Amino acid sequence: MFCGKEDKLETMELPNDSGDLGSEMEVDAFRRLFPLRFYERHLAESIRPDARPLSRARDTTVALGAVASANGSALAKIGSTTMLAAIKMEVMTPSVELPDEGCIAIEFHMPPICSPLVRPGRPAEVAPVVSKQLSDTILSSGMINLKELSLVSGKAAWMAYLDIYCLDADGALFDAALLSAVAAFSHLQIPVVSLNDDGKIVMLSEEQDDGNLDKGAVNKEKRKIALSSIPFSLTCVLHKNYILADPTAEEESIMETVVTVVLDSSNQLVSLYKPGGPVLARTSVLQDCVALTRQRIKELQNILDEAISGMEVD
Amino acid sequence: MTTKHSAVPTTYSPSPTSRSKPSVSKDSIVDWVRPDGRGYRQCRPAFFRTGAVNAASGSAYAEFGNTKVIVSVFGPRESKKAMMYSDVGRLNCNVGFTTFATPIRGQGSDHKEFSSLLHKALEGAIILETFPKTTVDVFALVLESGGSDLPVIISCASVALADAGIMMYDLVAAVSMSCLGKNLVIDPITEEESYQDGSLMITCMPSRYEVTQLTVIGEWSTPEINEAMELCLDACSKLAEIMRSSLKEVVSGSQE
Repeated sequence: MFCGKEDKLETMELPNDSGDLGSEMEVDAFRRLFPLRFYERHLAESIRPDARPLSRARDTTVALGAVASANGSALAKIGSTTMLAAIKMEVMTPSVELPDEGCIAIEFHMPPICSPLVRPGRPAEVAPVVSKQLSDTILSSGMINLKELSLVSGKAAWMAYLDIYCLDADGALFDAALLSAVAAFSHLQIPVVSLNDDGKIVMLSEEQDDGNLDKGAVNKEKRKIALSSIPFSLTCVLHKNYILADPTAEEESIMETVVTVVLDSSNQLVSLYKPGGPVLARTSVLQDCVALTRQRIKELQNILDEAISGMEVD
Repeated sequence: MTTKHSAVPTTYSPSPTSRSKPSVSKDSIVDWVRPDGRGYRQCRPAFFRTGAVNAASGSAYAEFGNTKVIVSVFGPRESKKAMMYSDVGRLNCNVGFTTFATPIRGQGSDHKEFSSLLHKALEGAIILETFPKTTVDVFALVLESGGSDLPVIISCASVALADAGIMMYDLVAAVSMSCLGKNLVIDPITEEESYQDGSLMITCMPSRYEVTQLTVIGEWSTPEINEAMELCLDACSKLAEIMRSSLKEVVSGSQE
């Protein structure tokens, strides 16, 4: 019964068919029953169901300072995928081997609100994977010089806790998470602190600021972290000979081969992930992915710059 | 990298942690001045927006001052395999906090009881008979905790349920009150909650004038309880108007 219906449906999906409600319902059923064939018909016309060309990423926005109680925060959206990143600065005693370096602890969370696949008590499998990818990428890109996080050599240094929450999961989670993380660091304001008599680091409040500056303020000049060579990424899905940039959750679930390329702002390759999948990535395909990423990071750089300059106006 | 894996160093927040609490007793505080300059009977401006999470069947974002909450509703969907057969639908609630919700990192997880309180507040309002054998999941995430978290979660969850098209007798609105010495303050912020002698929370269905949950904690006199209940019920019906208009906005917007 289904076979007969399927043929009929395929003809109904042709563009010359008028878009009355009856046929639209059928298309929706076809999409659910034969997702791969549904996509292949679109790909043959070089278009995606959400009307994007294959190489175009979804609309992307960044808003800085979304969390008032954090030292730095950002909300990043790529299509529906939404990430909220916040940094809290705490003080630690640096290790003996690296007395002049601070530390960054990065964690990626997928709370049950973000996707029907995540249930409380049963965390999503991808969360620790993205978490590891993020900390590898951020720490190895050299974006942040950990020496800048030092306060008092051998005694005190900053521990930056970066927590990224996925609020809505619709594909390309790593790209959105990395964007929100980078934006949170660019929004980071380090509090002015001083070393008190007990050897503890304490925050200097506003009113104390004028009188006690000479005495305390171990980090008067270091209110912002200098970010060099910021990493940006683009995830692509491979299917046969097609490359789909910035996939949605539906596209990721139907076509399983994913390639994520991370480049820094001077177009240097930071990392490349291709975790298995049925499609083998040939050199030329990987080069195409890198080329797409190169275009994409120009967009991302502009979006981030605009968000930062928007903050400065306020 | 190496330092991170060898041993996680103990850290502390440089912000002053132990603020000296003013001794609040029935006699010492005559007039409490609200830190955000509100009157005792004045709630924070409430903001609701539905459709915050596209992956969910229904969702809502609520913002009351610094308290920011997202609630997603999933289902009705298949109950867990281990569940017994049930003629009526099941409601499953969970409340989580972000690590940065509280001024000191990671303290939000102290509120384990919120999940069951949310469940009990909503259960009476939902027409469970409309989705037999299945489960509706209500998941909340507190993005920032700014006081009166639980009432905000409950009100937001009820808007999210309406957004998901789950049948309810009425919207559930929740308002809490703190008792500070002789003063009763409505919709308290975190600082007020930390000094309070007692707290009272009402969750109700204002159109039906039915209470789904009432919690009273701490020192209260009977006249105080009566006054607080009056004030909360009044505030609930006003809050429900705001919740209703946020739901109407979406519908009228999509028709254009």
